[in-house]
Parts: sequence; C-alpha cells; structure tokens
Amino acid sequence: MPNLNTDSIKDRTFDAIVIGSGISGGWSAKELTERGLKTLLLERGRDVQHIRDYPTTSKMPYEFDHRMEVPLAIKEEAPIVSKCYAFREDTMHFFVKDKEHPYIQEKPFDWIRGYQVGGKSLTWARQTQRWSDFDFEGPKRDGFAVDWPIRYDDLAPWYSHVEKFAGIVGNRDGLPELPDGEFLPAFPLNAVEDYFREQVKLKYPGRHVISTRMAHLSQPQPIHLEQGRGQCQMRTLCQRGCPYGGYFSSNASTIPWAQKTGNLTLRPFSVVHSILYDEQKGRATGVKVIDTNSKEEIEFFAKIIFVNASAINTNLILLNSQSNRFPEGLGNDSGVLGRYIAFHHYGGEVKARYEGPLDKYRTDGRKPGYGYVPRFRNLHKQEMNFLRGYAAGFVASRNFYSDTGDIGEPLKENLVHRKLSPWNVNSFMMGETIPKKESQVTLDKEMKDDWGIPQLRISVDFDENDRRMLEDYFEQYSEMFSAAGFKDIMASKREGAPGLDIHEMGGVRMGHDPKTSMLNKWNQIHACKNVFVTDGACMTSTSTQNPSLTYMAFSARAADYAVKEMKKGNI
Amino acid sequence: MKRRTAIKNMMIFAGGIYLLPSCSGDPAKASIELTNIDVSSGQESLLAEIAETIIPRTNGAPGAKEMNLHLFTMKMVDDCHSGDEQQKFVAALRVMEKEKLFIGLESAQRKEFIEELLEDKKAPEELRIMMKITKQRVIQGFTNSKFAMTDLKQYELVPGRYNGYFPVENV
Repeated sequence: MPNLNTDSIKDRTFDAIVIGSGISGGWSAKELTERGLKTLLLERGRDVQHIRDYPTTSKMPYEFDHRMEVPLAIKEEAPIVSKCYAFREDTMHFFVKDKEHPYIQEKPFDWIRGYQVGGKSLTWARQTQRWSDFDFEGPKRDGFAVDWPIRYDDLAPWYSHVEKFAGIVGNRDGLPELPDGEFLPAFPLNAVEDYFREQVKLKYPGRHVISTRMAHLSQPQPIHLEQGRGQCQMRTLCQRGCPYGGYFSSNASTIPWAQKTGNLTLRPFSVVHSILYDEQKGRATGVKVIDTNSKEEIEFFAKIIFVNASAINTNLILLNSQSNRFPEGLGNDSGVLGRYIAFHHYGGEVKARYEGPLDKYRTDGRKPGYGYVPRFRNLHKQEMNFLRGYAAGFVASRNFYSDTGDIGEPLKENLVHRKLSPWNVNSFMMGETIPKKESQVTLDKEMKDDWGIPQLRISVDFDENDRRMLEDYFEQYSEMFSAAGFKDIMASKREGAPGLDIHEMGGVRMGHDPKTSMLNKWNQIHACKNVFVTDGACMTSTSTQNPSLTYMAFSARAADYAVKEMKKGNI
Repeated sequence: MKRRTAIKNMMIFAGGIYLLPSCSGDPAKASIELTNIDVSSGQESLLAEIAETIIPRTNGAPGAKEMNLHLFTMKMVDDCHSGDEQQKFVAALRVMEKEKLFIGLESAQRKEFIEELLEDKKAPEELRIMMKITKQRVIQGFTNSKFAMTDLKQYELVPGRYNGYFPVENV
C-alpha cells in the first residue's frame, strides 16, 4: 500500500521525472539536472554502473565457456533476440530474453530490447549522422505522414551541443544531404574503401562514400576527460561496455554527469505503469511505478515529465495512461497515438571481392568505423517508382583464415600459419520506410505482464515501397560494384521481420496540428503541456540516418525549452 | 587395406548402435560436468585420442589433448547442439569404445580412419556426424585458444591502432 502521509509525498516529489535511462533519457536527465531541477530518473531494469558492471569487458575469447557462442537452450527459449547480430555470449546480459517480457505479434516483429540502466546505449552501433532538410521536408514534399513542425535550423545548434559532449568522429565532407557537425578526427578508410570512394566519385556524380560518423573518442577533448572518459582503443568490443569510455553511452557519460550535479535520483527496478493526470489542474502530476522486485505500487510526482522509455514502450505508457479526459491514452485527442509506426529497412546486402594492385595492402589493428554512402535516391526530386531512399554502409576487409580441409599435422600447420584472404567488400542497406496509419501498436485487452501492465500488440509490416526500394538497392550496388571492377558480386536478402534493425520509430509523432499529431515542435504533448516525448516515439518520419543522435538533440532542446517555460510559469 | 577392414568393422556394428545399453555397470564419469549428454571417462579418453589425431602435438606446439580440446568439444556438444546431434555423438562414441574401432589402431591408421569417415557418405550417420562435429569444435577450440591467440599472437584484445594501408609482407 502506498504510504500517504505528507512527508512521504514530499520524498516522492521532484521537479522533473525522466522515464527511461537509455540514450535519450540520459540526455534529458543531464540537461534537466544541469539546469538545477531535482530529477528522478526511472529505469525498469537493473543498475549498470560504468566499468563495474561490464563483467565481460576484458575477457579474451577463450575465457568464455562457449567461445562467445550463445548456448542452444537460450537460443531456443529466446528465438527473437537470438536473431540480433549483437546478441552473443559476451553481451547477452544486456539484452531482454523473449520470455521475460512477452508481447503479441499480430504480424512478425523482432523487438530487440535492453532493460537496464543505460538501455541500448550500451549495445548500440554508435553511428551518428545529422538529418538535413532533405529529410525534414520529406513528408511534406512527398505527401505522406504529416509535415515535420521543425526544420534543420531548429535542431542544428542542438546537434552541435550533443556532439561536442558525446564526442563524434567524422570528416567535414561538405554534403548538404548529411550536414557536417562538431567532429573529432574520423577513423580513416582503408585502401579498398578509399578506392571505392574514388571510383564512385569518378563514375557516379552525386553519390559519395564517406567515413562513418560515430560516437567514439578518437581524440578526447577536455570535456570528455572531465567525464572520466578516455581515448577509443579500437578494440571493437563495444557492446560489452567500454572500460575506457571510448564510445558514448548513458552509463559512461550523461548519467554520471547528471549525478555530479547532486540533483539526480536514479531509481532502477521501477517500471512505469502510467502517467497520472489531474483533471482539475489539466496537467500531468506524476507517474505510477511498480517496483519490479517487490511489485509494490508507488506514485512519484513532478512538475514536468520526460518520456524516454524507448519508442514502443513510450507508446505503451501513454496508451496505458487513461483518464476521463483521455480515455484512449494521454494526449490522444487525435486518435493517432500508437499509429504511424515505422522503422529502418536493413533488408539487403551486396557482397563482392576486390582483385588488383591494392592486394599489396592489408589492414593492421582494428577500427570501429567503415564507409557510409548517404542517400542519393529521390534526393532532390521524386524520380523512382518508390518513395524516399536508402543509405548504405560499405566495408572492405581482409582477414586471416586457414584451410581446414586436412587433419593431423598439415591441418595444424595451416592453423598456425594462416593465409591472408582476398579483399572482401560488403554493403548493407539502410532504407527509409513510410509511416502508415495501419502500422500500429495497441494494448491487449486481457493479457498482462508480470506487473499488471497490459501486453502490447504489434502490427507492423513491410510494404510494396520497401520491396521496390530493396530491388533498386540491389541493382544500384551491384552496378556500382561492377563499375568499380569488383568480382563475384552477390546480392542477398536478409531474413528477419521488421524490428531487427532496432530503429523502430513513431506512434507519438510530432506535427503542427493537434488533430493529426501528438507532439508540437518542442516535443511537448499538444494537450498536456508538461509531458515531453523525446525518444524514437516522436519521429514523424524515419529518413535513413541512424536515429540516436537526433533523439539526443531533441532531448537537450526540449529540456532547455521545458525549463524556460517552467520559469515563465507556463507549465 | 587395414583401413578398409576398420571401416568394414564399423559398418557391421553401426546397425546396432542404438541397441547398445547406455551403460553397462557403472563406468566412471567424464571429468567435466555435463547436463545433456552422458559420456564416460573411457569415452572421454577416446575422444581425447580422436582430437589429438586431428591436431597432434608437434615440435614445441601443444596438441589437442594437452589443450583439453576434447573437453571443449564435449562442452559444446552438451550446450550448443541439438538433442538429435547429441544422441548421435554419444552413440558413436559408445560403439567406437565398445568395439575398439579407433583405439586399437596405429597412429597412421587413426588418421585414415577419421579421413575415411569424413569423406565416405556411406559410413554410418552417427559416426560421420560425431566426427564432423569433433573436427569442427577441435579447430574452433584451437583457433580460440590461449596458445593461438596469445602465444601465436593471432588476436589482440587492445590493438589501439589501425592502418588501412599495411604492406603485405613478402610481396
């Protein structure tokens, strides 16, 4: 039973509550606490402290019982998360196993989750590209979804703000479709990546191969050292958690920073059931939390609430926040809550082999980055039989391998003295998908989870636009590879349902009009002004860029705005 | 050829693999804890000899037995293979042990025996699968061993560097 005496209420009252400690929630907490707000940061999972809780971080492969392979019993019990490329014996403690948190797939959806302090910021792919107005103007130009209520200029200073603190590597490439940012030195392309860059430049005007922009400290600045982070050591074991703080995560960066202000209260094991709404005051007053260990229900109160529970769970919380005023979910006057979900389409790859004078080179050491080809399709105008387009990654690598045909001494000799493989090249597609009304999440009327919260029903699928885009990607990259003289070109589809890209977005979209959107241009719920949504749920469209950097910028911008509005007495 | 004799013997006994009792008496257990498969101490020794034949000790470099790659193979079969493969793996070890199909051979014959099994699609399925799994896991265990990764410097935990134009030696 909640304790209702006044002292207890006082103890449970803060200036701000942030729901979720992943990449966007960490930023919300940092910005709010820096501005002096006593902030409660709620996390449904366990605590993960930087370094201390990275149990596998410094292990050699032979120190794992199964040499990093996931045991079959775990795979069989968790077939969805087992499809994820980053789910391995050394990282699996940072992923939700299917059974622990069930959901209902009206259509197949591979929902990959990380329920712990830091969320998926521990295991993300760390790619960070800015959006441009080619992206923000997409829905309006092409007539889908609704117009974004902001443009690049609104977000640009906040991109700079988060980039400087997080530490982003990149080159100033001067591409209007992928604006430059505040960069640390980029990870260099290798011989064959450079070769492809030159070939594309020569043969495909308007197409560009650049070095990936990533949240790594190639050359830490004072602001990074102050966070206790050091230089990236090129281990490429990032998903175990980095003992150097070489890549950006909430755990290494924003959360300890917020804690240093003395204004942060971090509460793990706290799953949010719903946001409390006061009909008299016409505002949200707090949140109802279930302690996941004791199952006790606790209410916390605050003047402003930031919802950063990750795209789909943010939808769940709002849908489950029902009141007389909002019987269909908090702020859902328009009926669009839970709808217009979209994702990135990582549906294909094209592989080939390089043969030629660059065979005199190999690589030495490792690097986190590779090549990136920004979207060129339908960029300046609609020109194809599908809407929007795709970016792609481009990786060239040369590895050591052994001929394992023999047994006995010849086999051993081959294993000890390995051979150098030819240069292999690989590209993978990152496509924009179109948010549609029928792509939605809803609450199941009967099934509940262990904490009495309704289970989600997910109904999201590929469509004809995605299929046409994939065909075009196959054609274009096969052709570009051929033009570059690559051999043995092979295009292949990637199996798996939507969701496996781990870039699900939307459901609580931004827009100008409260009749067709949930949030205004400040990520503020139109009909409940003291609630802000700055994670993937806010996305009106998806574009092709990896989305986290944009969530960080939204979080910092919205927090700044919220505090100013509070001070003015507007919320 | 002696190899033919060995294979012929195998064929004769293969049909009866599943008829063999799972344990006769109470043989000593394997030296590591296993959850899903039942391997006796004798079968473990047999597997060690098979592994050693696949990757033998050579001048200055340890072999599979010394590196415990047979134990690694058992661990992987126990935790990472399907029930069907586990059954076949154990059944094959059992018949090989009981009929001394392998242990009685000279070292050169042992190698031929394994090669024959890996190549001959007509050999009993259990034996082929067991040998395929064992070879795969022994190689994996070797390439992921402290010896290969650290002593032979095939892997660095913290490279701290990257050169995308590193000259290939001897070109």
